[in-house]
Amino acid sequence: MNRRSQSSGAEGGGSLDRLLRAAASTNEDAPEMPYGFDTRVVALWQAHGEREPNGIARLIRHVAVFAAVILIASAAGVYREVIRSDVSSEPFANQFAIADSAIADEVSP
Amino acid sequence: MEQPEARALVAAALRHDDDAARELVRRLHPLVAKLVRAHRPRRTSEEDLAQMIFIKVFQKLWQFSGEVPLEHWVSRIAVNTCLNQIAAEKARPELRRSDLSEEEEAVVENLAVSSDELAPDKRLAARQLVEHLLDLLKPAERLVMDLLYLQRRSVAEVQKITGWSASRIKVRAFRARQKMKKQLAKISAKENP
Repeated sequence: MNRRSQSSGAEGGGSLDRLLRAAASTNEDAPEMPYGFDTRVVALWQAHGEREPNGIARLIRHVAVFAAVILIASAAGVYREVIRSDVSSEPFANQFAIADSAIADEVSP
Repeated sequence: MEQPEARALVAAALRHDDDAARELVRRLHPLVAKLVRAHRPRRTSEEDLAQMIFIKVFQKLWQFSGEVPLEHWVSRIAVNTCLNQIAAEKARPELRRSDLSEEEEAVVENLAVSSDELAPDKRLAARQLVEHLLDLLKPAERLVMDLLYLQRRSVAEVQKITGWSASRIKVRAFRARQKMKKQLAKISAKENP
């Protein structure tokens, strides 16, 4: 059974090789260019327009600039907020200090 | 095409010299047409596919650095375009003996009973039979088989055309051969109607 399947496999390969050799010997030449094909291609190329040489690069640059602007704006916002919170928290800090010393005075003998 | 000439034509085409662009199409058409034929598109016509490839080539022409031969650069665009275009086309699951013409059946009989090379008058039918068998393969396998066995190109040449590694090409060819052998054995079997 094994021997049979091996031999049929080898035959299959041999047949395929002979078939491919015979097919290759009828190799067709490249088909001729249809009349006006070159003109049509050039016209279509011009109609579609050249793909922007650095279209993707330009898009990435725009995205990067936009992201940088947002980053700077948000950083400025955060900075302002921190400054404001520092300023506004100062009176509270003083009030806490006053209350603290008042309590200390009252509690201490 | 010589490299300096190719570079000059590309540079002129990029300067919107229509004559140079047309000359590029004329020079590259045999190469592109052969690759398109090797893919055997079923739904898309060969001419439409070739046109699609040339439009892509011109749209990407600014990317051509001149470091590789223009033919290789164009071949890779052609191969990728063909594979993308044909990927959706499903391969037929199998070939039946009833799908064959009388001449093709005679070739199958001949292969089964004799180990001699096929006679010259059987070569056309052999070609058609191979076309049927190739139709059953995946587009990439079809291309590899066409380039290696029908166009008789070396693995190194196929590498340059497709950009695939030698091992990938050999694996694809091996798988394709296995599928073709299996189909050929199936249609050769006498019990097959």
